Amino acid sequence: MARFLIERLFGMIVTLFLVSIMVFFIMELPPGDYAERYAFRKYSGTGITMTEADVQAIRAELGLDAPAITRYLDWMGGIVLNGDFGPAYAFDTSVNNIIGDKVWLTLGLLFATLIVTYVISIPVGIYAAVRRGGLADYGLTIFSYLGLALPNFLLALVMLYFANLWFGASIGGLFSPQYAEAPWSAAKFWDLVKHLWLPAAVLAWSAMAYQIQTVRATMSDELGKLSVMAARARGVPEARLLLKYPARLAINPVVSTIGFDVNRIFSELPIVAVVLGLTELGDLLLKSYLDLDMNVAGAILLLLTVVIVVMNFVSDLLLAWLDPRIRLGG
Amino acid sequence: MLTVENLTISFRTDEGRITPVQDVGFSVAEGRTLGIVGESGSGKSVSTKALMRLLPGNAEIGREARMRYTSKSGEDIAIEALKPGSRALRRLRGGEIGMIFQEPMASFSPVYTIGNQIMETVRLHRGLNGTAARDLAVEMLTKVGISNPGARVDQYPHELSGGMRQRAMIALALSAGPRLLIADEPTTALDVTIQAQVLDLMRDLQRDLGMGMIFITHDLGVIAHVADDVAVMYLGTIVETGTAREVLKSPAHPYTRGLIKAIPRLDRLDARLEAVPGDIPSPSARPTGCPFHTRCAEAIAGLCERVTPPEVRLAQGRRVRCHLHDETRAVA
Ligand SMILES: Nc1ncnc2c1ncn2[C@@H]1O[C@H](COP(=O)(O)OP(=O)(O)OP(=O)(O)O)[C@@H](O)[C@H]1O
Ligand code: SF4
Ligand SMILES: [Mg+2]
Repeated sequence: MARFLIERLFGMIVTLFLVSIMVFFIMELPPGDYAERYAFRKYSGTGITMTEADVQAIRAELGLDAPAITRYLDWMGGIVLNGDFGPAYAFDTSVNNIIGDKVWLTLGLLFATLIVTYVISIPVGIYAAVRRGGLADYGLTIFSYLGLALPNFLLALVMLYFANLWFGASIGGLFSPQYAEAPWSAAKFWDLVKHLWLPAAVLAWSAMAYQIQTVRATMSDELGKLSVMAARARGVPEARLLLKYPARLAINPVVSTIGFDVNRIFSELPIVAVVLGLTELGDLLLKSYLDLDMNVAGAILLLLTVVIVVMNFVSDLLLAWLDPRIRLGG
Repeated sequence: MLTVENLTISFRTDEGRITPVQDVGFSVAEGRTLGIVGESGSGKSVSTKALMRLLPGNAEIGREARMRYTSKSGEDIAIEALKPGSRALRRLRGGEIGMIFQEPMASFSPVYTIGNQIMETVRLHRGLNGTAARDLAVEMLTKVGISNPGARVDQYPHELSGGMRQRAMIALALSAGPRLLIADEPTTALDVTIQAQVLDLMRDLQRDLGMGMIFITHDLGVIAHVADDVAVMYLGTIVETGTAREVLKSPAHPYTRGLIKAIPRLDRLDARLEAVPGDIPSPSARPTGCPFHTRCAEAIAGLCERVTPPEVRLAQGRRVRCHLHDETRAVA
């Protein structure tokens, strides 16, 4: 296990390094830089003509004139050593200030979505496989097709409509107005939970539909295994047998695709966030990218990819923990 | 200790109803081994799964079937009448009748240790917990000849070799303390040298523990080695039964004779193995009359393909289903 852990840990560190280079490359990609944008903003319409030398001066002031390698090392050094993502030019403050809260909210939303997905799809998929061919199974199959076919934002609109109808108007956003600016407290946290379930359910929708099918298929496979019949032939009570033998293996494909789920949730998040009026990172990412405020864009991009890489690592560990054949290299 | 009569098993399939086991009867006496031999698809596994009520949902056991088993406490159990999920059925499975399958690897769950699976059985059937259960697991592993059992008990199935795994499977089945052991081709998946070791082990354990045993195989050579009695199955019916000695010495049924010719023998190594000639008909297209008539060299034209041969009793408790032995048959 120790060996496995070290291997995966090393793999993750290498991946993270490559990811950081890629993100930096993406930050460099758009034509022009913030110095030009800044010059244009500040002096357009004032009649003053900016010379290339003036822009160069701004560039030097912002530290944008250094060679790429220096800027990469500066940037990474700040992040790794001090957790400092650098200045956010367009906002005249630090990146950490701009994205701080949003990171936690996005992560909260991510985990809420994952929990909703797995808590529902695993037992439901197992149940459908055990009652294969029954009414519940057919119902679930139809639900799954619906889940895969219906776009998230449409579902978000529909759910928003009904949530408003049943729970009152304050369901959009992540906080009620009175808590939005308030310091953290138990009441604020509870308010967040009340607001979180709707976006989490919307985001979980298609993953749920997909994972129910996966669990159902694997569970059906596992139910037909000789080891299950062998356990039955030893007189293991049925309910316990189902949980201990086939169900235990039926969750493996779910665990191994946690990374994919995270990736997909991040991709769907921005549009769902727009519909539900959430302020999360995706929206800010787009804005800062358009503004050429590359430290903000880079920080968000880096954080999202790091979350995906780390979740992949977690999924590997979970899988190894669940399956000794992987852990012991069989 | 076990008597089976009129056992008929059919399956509902997409291509309609098939009946791979028809009117089968056999019995196992205390402390004896019954070998069931027959080609692939003859219904050996299905018949023994019925004894444990392990058939899948699309299977149906005929209404006239009677499966009587005498339990350790001397109680008579009608297996066909046990309720699914009942305590009595769970006690029967494992605790009274143990089962070993062809694939030792697939019979273990890959994600639990050998010991975990043995101790589960010990807890269920012997009421032992904790160290007592573990001690018994180690003891069982020792009994089946696994070296270093104290360490093996904590290993996963994939860490053992094929032969070791089958030994561990035998330990697992025996740990529940069954009175009857069903072994469904337990050595087919193993190397030849290991096959012989496992066979010897099973025979010795059966004798030491005084268990009844049903040993399924498609190899009459194996029957000669382990079985006291033998039932030869063809297309879902038992065509010949008797003591293994007698049947092997003077086979009465043409099919049994064909199987004996197919036993590899040291003094005939140069001669090619003669498998029973002809193709096995599929269970959905069962021949009329004697099921073997499509492959039988001695078939009586006009009779065998039309009339199902009755069961004829021969000397020494032997029985055979073949017109050749039917004294009462009208001359065709
Ligand atoms: N679940 C099932 N559904 C439908 N038919 C089945 C099912 N299981 C078995 N059968 C039928 O029963 C027949 C007998 O199967 P069985 O497994 O008892 O053969 P066997 O004698 O054990 O052969 P082998 O030596 O290959 O193990 C098969 O030919 C198959 O057609
Ligand atoms: S009954 Fe006829 S066909 Fe069947 S085995 Fe005997 S001789 Fe052959
Ligand atoms: Mg079989």
